[in-house]
Amino acid sequence: MILEGTIRLPFSYAAGGIGTQFLIALRDEQRILGARCESCSTVTCPARPFCSQCHAAVTDLIEVGPAGNVVARTETPGKGVFGLIRLDGANTAILHRLVGPVDQWRRGARVSAVFAEERTAGINDIEGFVIEGDQP
Amino acid sequence: MADASRQRQRDVAVLGGAETEIVPEDLRSIPEMVLEAVAGALDDAAVQWEDVDAIVTASVDLFDGLTASSIAVTEVVGAVLKPETRIAADGMAAAIHAVHQIAAGAYGTVLVVAHGKASMAPHWDLTEWAMDPVYLQPLGVDFLTVAGLQANLIADSNRVGRCASLGDGACAVVLSSSVPSGAAVITGTGHDLDAHYPGDRDLSTWSGLQRAAGRAYEQAGVRDPATAFAVAEPSCMFPHEEGLFVEATAIGKNTPLSPSGGLMEGTAPIVSGLTRLLAAARAIEGNPGRRALAHGAWGPAGQGHAVAIVEAT
Repeated sequence: MILEGTIRLPFSYAAGGIGTQFLIALRDEQRILGARCESCSTVTCPARPFCSQCHAAVTDLIEVGPAGNVVARTETPGKGVFGLIRLDGANTAILHRLVGPVDQWRRGARVSAVFAEERTAGINDIEGFVIEGDQP
Repeated sequence: MADASRQRQRDVAVLGGAETEIVPEDLRSIPEMVLEAVAGALDDAAVQWEDVDAIVTASVDLFDGLTASSIAVTEVVGAVLKPETRIAADGMAAAIHAVHQIAAGAYGTVLVVAHGKASMAPHWDLTEWAMDPVYLQPLGVDFLTVAGLQANLIADSNRVGRCASLGDGACAVVLSSSVPSGAAVITGTGHDLDAHYPGDRDLSTWSGLQRAAGRAYEQAGVRDPATAFAVAEPSCMFPHEEGLFVEATAIGKNTPLSPSGGLMEGTAPIVSGLTRLLAAARAIEGNPGRRALAHGAWGPAGQGHAVAIVEAT
């Protein structure tokens, strides 16, 4: 016999100091921030409080993008097309939605961020990335 | 620390093991499933409950829909009133933990047990909740998405290829400092965890596996991996991962991969790596000097890797 059950619990996740600055910049300024490491100069995007490469604490935020290059792309059935995008000024890639059919996406394609009209200080304040020049 | 990693590790014998048949849905409860694997492993290793000094279990709460998922198996692995350590990663990571316990002299004989039931929930949807809650979960990104990005870099595909058929199963292995003649021994182990955020690492390689294998080779004294192994037992869940495995381990084109049948026809989450260790030990037992490589992986697109080198005595 199999007993059916459901787990549904509200949860609160702290975005942290750097994460909060990143998300508020998306909401209020439509700007994307990277975290610049003072030790090795790596710019990690999305910004986190540590360097993604040398793991030093990072406090210095700089604007990156909103344009960049597609590093990789994939279609997840039922969920859409996702890509890794290395934004101009960043050394690491952001994972986000690519808007449009998967076939049009080539690695190295120039893309730019499109921001959502209603923004709530979340990663979905970026609606996705489109081929540069295709912005509405 | 560098000096310690160069030391040859004390040999640890794979005394025996057992696994349940992987089926799409095992209608037994987790304890019933695990009990079959544990009883089989003790029998295969010819040890009694009282010979087991400690237990290391591998399970993931998210996949079991239960926090502290080891509570489901504490009794059936014989861990009541004994030291139990739970590893929330692939069973191979649990085996390596047990090897360290034995090599350190903490325990003589350790039972390693892994279980996973993919039938309990839509597995890939579940992995969404194993992603970063600030930057990834709200996008709906799951392990399939990250594997798809990796497949795009390796195979130029638009989406990830056919995944290994996931089902329900359990595996148990008995490891010991006492080495019977003819036993397979673990002579080297390596373990590595890469960055979680997929854009922080180079998804076009399994560099974590390269580091893990390098550590295992150093301990086991493997100098030329292309000719060192009679068999390699990889944990590859997708077709594109086989190339990543061969490249990262440098085992070359001539080392047979999973001659007894790999994971593609059926495996269970968390259990895979431990079944590879058992398959590797069985492949070389009775052929003194022969070596095999066993591999476990976990997390999005192989974020975690664990390697054991097994050698026949």
